[in-house]
Amino acid sequence: MKSMAKHLPHYFVLFGLLLAGILAFVLFSYDQAFQMIVAIAVAISYVIWGLVHHSIHKDLYFSVVLEYLAIAALGLVMVFSLILRT
Amino acid sequence: MKFIHKIAHLFTPRESNNQKAKLLHNSSLTLITFAFIFYQLIISFVPRFGSKILGFAANISPDEVVALTNAKRAQAGLSALSLNSTLSQAAQAKGADMLNKGYWAHVAPDGTQPWAFFTDFGYKYRYAGENLARDFSSASSAVEAWMNSPSHKENLLSGKYKEIGIGVVEGNLAGVDTTIIIQFFGTKYADTVPAVPIAEAKAVVEKPVATFIPTMAPTQVITTVEVAKVLVSPFNVTKSVSLGIVGLLLFVLIIDGILVSKRKVARIAGRTFAHIAFLGMILAIALILKAGKII
Repeated sequence: MKSMAKHLPHYFVLFGLLLAGILAFVLFSYDQAFQMIVAIAVAISYVIWGLVHHSIHKDLYFSVVLEYLAIAALGLVMVFSLILRT
Repeated sequence: MKFIHKIAHLFTPRESNNQKAKLLHNSSLTLITFAFIFYQLIISFVPRFGSKILGFAANISPDEVVALTNAKRAQAGLSALSLNSTLSQAAQAKGADMLNKGYWAHVAPDGTQPWAFFTDFGYKYRYAGENLARDFSSASSAVEAWMNSPSHKENLLSGKYKEIGIGVVEGNLAGVDTTIIIQFFGTKYADTVPAVPIAEAKAVVEKPVATFIPTMAPTQVITTVEVAKVLVSPFNVTKSVSLGIVGLLLFVLIIDGILVSKRKVARIAGRTFAHIAFLGMILAIALILKAGKII
């Protein structure tokens, strides 16, 4: 929590990215290709956010990078599966 | 007792899992991802083994599609389209053609344009349009999806069209039972040509205008769909499992975050709050997405 308060602007950027992703899914509900691009963009942005944030915080380790990649990959696989089955 | 320890090891940070719930370890997350991909492969391959479990159950009435379309037109200050039985027969034939030839497109694999159905049924058009929808559970959700797409909305709310024809067909497309809605719009050529005395009439050959694309299908008459059989929608099972996994991970992340913060554990890991926010977005997307495709 302390860390979050200290890096509040970082979290605003992350929330902005994620909210933009949700908004794009709502506004472009008819365009599956665009939704897929948005999903990839948000997942990549999330990983980059993690790298930058931990780098600034000086606690960027390989296992941390893998953690962001694993969560982003899981989210991406789920969103792609859902889009392709709509 | 052993079972409780295993559950605690899986869901809470402890010494046994290096102060991080085992479910949140990279190995567990990777395993969940591959298990989900394997699950999707099973759903995709089940229909190939002749199973008739997967499909989209629907109850769609062509009259309702017409009424909803005209309601949208009325809201936009446009005149109502009149239902033309020839257009409906053409739309029905287009749907049967898609099921028989196994395609989901405006143009058939053999290059047959949608407009061929208009003319095959004797509908000489000045303007023609086609909207297609599949896998929707109701007429309203299909019309709403069309309204959300600028190009389909343009067809729906076009002042050029005077008549409408609706075809609803049910059948097996790519191994999955589905319902397809075919919406044909048209204005007869005769309705646009002013009455001119024969002596003054010139031989004007004006090219018909057609927006969006439609093959003469074998006479497979399929009427309004009233699906009584219980089908498992591939989308719904994917959505349920996705929501279950994301929900569980969010729950474990929250528990993990609270306990680590309370115990003041120093560990090398990603930001719990960032993971919660990202998975929250995935949860929101899973809830937003609805079954049904339009072209």
